[in-house]
Amino acid sequence: MAHSHSKTSKPAGPKSKTIGLLAQFDNQESLVAACERARDSGYQKFDAYSPFPVHGIDPAMGIRRTKLPFFVLAIGMTGCVIALIMQYYTNAVDWTKIFPGYAFYISGKPLELSPASIPVTFEVIILSSAFATFFGMWIFNQLPRFANPLHRIARFKRATNDRFFLMIEADDAKYDTNRTRQQFEEWGATAVEHVDEDLTDQEIPKFFKLAALVGLFLLLVPPVMIFRSYGGTNRHPRLHVVPDMDWQDKYKPQQVSPNIGTEKEPVYLYADDRAMRAPLNGTIARGDLQEDDRFFRGYEPGTLPPPAPKTADQSAAETFVSVRGPNAQDGAPAGQDPATGQYPGEPDWVDSFPAPFQVDEKTLARGQQRFEIYCSVCHGYDGNGNGRVNQRALALAATGQAQWTTAKSLHDPAVKVQPVGRIFDTISNGRNSMGPYRSQIPVEDRWAITLYVKALQETGIQPATGATPPQQ
Amino acid sequence: MHNTRPAQITSPLISLSTGRVKLVPIGLLVAAIGIGMAFFFGEAAGGYRRFSFAYLTSFSFLLSTSLGCLFFVIIQHLTKAAWGVTVRRIAEIFAMCLIPLALLFLPIVVPVILGRAELYPWNQAGWLEEGGPLFQMKLDYLSRNWFVIRWIAYFAIWAFFAWNFFGKSTKQDQTGDVGLTLKMQRSSTWMMIVFASTIVFASFDLEMSLSPLWFSTMFPVYFFAGGVLGGLAAITLTALLLQRSGRVTDEITVDQYHDLAKLMFGFTFFWGYIAFSQFLLIWYANIPEETFWYKFRFWDSAWGKASWALLIFHLLIPFLGLMARTVRRNKTYLLFASIYVLCIHWFDHFYIVMPQYGYGIEGDPIEGKAGFPFSWWIDFPCAIGMVGLYIALFGLIAGDRPLVPKQDPRLGESLNHVNP
Repeated sequence: MAHSHSKTSKPAGPKSKTIGLLAQFDNQESLVAACERARDSGYQKFDAYSPFPVHGIDPAMGIRRTKLPFFVLAIGMTGCVIALIMQYYTNAVDWTKIFPGYAFYISGKPLELSPASIPVTFEVIILSSAFATFFGMWIFNQLPRFANPLHRIARFKRATNDRFFLMIEADDAKYDTNRTRQQFEEWGATAVEHVDEDLTDQEIPKFFKLAALVGLFLLLVPPVMIFRSYGGTNRHPRLHVVPDMDWQDKYKPQQVSPNIGTEKEPVYLYADDRAMRAPLNGTIARGDLQEDDRFFRGYEPGTLPPPAPKTADQSAAETFVSVRGPNAQDGAPAGQDPATGQYPGEPDWVDSFPAPFQVDEKTLARGQQRFEIYCSVCHGYDGNGNGRVNQRALALAATGQAQWTTAKSLHDPAVKVQPVGRIFDTISNGRNSMGPYRSQIPVEDRWAITLYVKALQETGIQPATGATPPQQ
Repeated sequence: MHNTRPAQITSPLISLSTGRVKLVPIGLLVAAIGIGMAFFFGEAAGGYRRFSFAYLTSFSFLLSTSLGCLFFVIIQHLTKAAWGVTVRRIAEIFAMCLIPLALLFLPIVVPVILGRAELYPWNQAGWLEEGGPLFQMKLDYLSRNWFVIRWIAYFAIWAFFAWNFFGKSTKQDQTGDVGLTLKMQRSSTWMMIVFASTIVFASFDLEMSLSPLWFSTMFPVYFFAGGVLGGLAAITLTALLLQRSGRVTDEITVDQYHDLAKLMFGFTFFWGYIAFSQFLLIWYANIPEETFWYKFRFWDSAWGKASWALLIFHLLIPFLGLMARTVRRNKTYLLFASIYVLCIHWFDHFYIVMPQYGYGIEGDPIEGKAGFPFSWWIDFPCAIGMVGLYIALFGLIAGDRPLVPKQDPRLGESLNHVNP
């Protein structure tokens, strides 16, 4: 019937093959009925096509349930085993000569499989199951398929719109062109058509095979390269993938000033040859304006004596030490006033804790904690100057292996009379052989330590935990 | 061709009717004998403290199961689910059991009010002598009055939710008003959020505060996962038993069982996932204030075996046992599976509650009490008695009401529900 008008129904040449017979139905009920008849007639290889999923078509066609779940289960379990082996190998095996694992103890956890292996195993099971589901679905549906002879049939296009089709394949044992056509008409088909597959150009082009061969060969290159460089050294400079990021148009600290002359006769942009510029005089970073002398430096405002004339060496050294306290030089100034603890030539130290520092249990506890971190190593927990470093240094000094000035006892009468401002200054800027702690301990914590030192002095030489706040 | 079933009830019997005449007294009798035995032998074995622990185990089992059913009802409305309409009434009735469960909570809460610390060690002065700010918060949270106020709030909220769904649904049986379904859908949104909040704090209060020094933010999810699993098993088992007695035979189809079993399967694994997550984080971080809870559950020889038993019987066996489609659609198998899941869910609560009987607040063994305390004379009759009580409550609440929401607008869709 279709011989007259369809281009696919040209007389099949020697290079074509019969695929089967396609029948068209006008509604889903007749399609389902035809499927049932085909199933009952003993056909095995046939398929139905419809614009939408038809309820109950699977039993009507006699389709068995998919085997996909078992496939997924098998692959998932394989993933489980692989994940366990992989983790065991990488974490516990380091005796193999080549590609050893990393048998490192981390947080005291066992090297072998442990509860920590379960999340990885779980994820690998999920991943392999997902892949198995996705690709298994392709395999079971014989996908991908680049062409289907049915797409050459004009009327079949309506399978995505308003027509229903049933095709019985020629491979079916029961297939017989005439009889099957007759059956289709009995079952209510509105049209029956012969489906042929064009077998010209079935051969895969030769260059495809060649390309596949070359591709397979190229796949070997990365593993060979990895193997070759394994354990070796490389004298070539490193690869710069993003040169803009590796060489940026800017100068970094400690670099030489830009050269505006020639390579032979360099002229540097800045006279000191440095690319780095010191901030303008009086420049202060945001939030660093430390105006309050009482709080930040521990003395009454305006009592800082003018600095002594400096030697040239000192001036050069201080160029890069912008904010240095007044008493950082070694050597204690002589002539302490025994009553006030003030030293001549020093500013007027504050003798009460300046606002906004609060004297209470909380700051005292903080001071104790900081003291025990920073100070107790030399001065001892109870402040008697016999910390662990002091003990060790004295032991070394006794055998001539080190030079050491004994750490000051904080209960020394000369220290006890010192105003809090001076203790604060000592912590900030250091004194004698003690170094400055200004850069390591914030201002509030330095006052807290001062408070704790005062508390220690008040309680005398006792275990540090017994200290109480001083009476203010 | 697939035939569409009309949206009408075809079973000859859709209510308990005369059945409850037997169900209620037998249930109450079993309850009286079981709980009586537990009280008597518990008193002999370890005083009221022994009975309290056995009672709390079984109470937690019933409470979490009922909460699981309430969750089932709320989520059915929240998602406008049609498949579960024919089994929703069973869940509604179990959720209604939360109201009488408030009375059954009295044996636990009254000793707390009286200041006894047999069950909850935080109910005595000086239980926490030192500790950081976190422990101070615990000290503030675990106070006697605040505990009682919280429980009143929980039960009031749950009772209101359960009554809301059950009342509207049974009213719809009479009137057929579609507006009631819309109302329930709308209220299910915020109710789900409130429900989630209450279950978090209720799980802290009910079981976690037995070890008041312990920290685990995963515990409420663990409690919830187990509860929903128990709820699903209870719904499945009840539906199967009702059908065996010739009730609602046509309405609950194999496809509903299939879906319930899928959910049971899912929540089995969710429970395992959460239980393991809780364990893994604590094991890996290895911080003393967390590890002690597991320490005596693993290092005691009997509880160590119980931990492994929980892994195997609560996770691996139900996971594999509920995986296949054929078994999910087999009613005989599901009858066995749902009983099994309920038993193991009870054991889960036993595992949470009971170790605290023999181990002190910091996980140190109590002289003569440490070990695996299961007793066929105390814990077993207590569980059976409470289940008997639960069955009696089911009978009382169900009464002569239909066991299917017979005028629900989605009934037809539910009857025609097919798993592809």
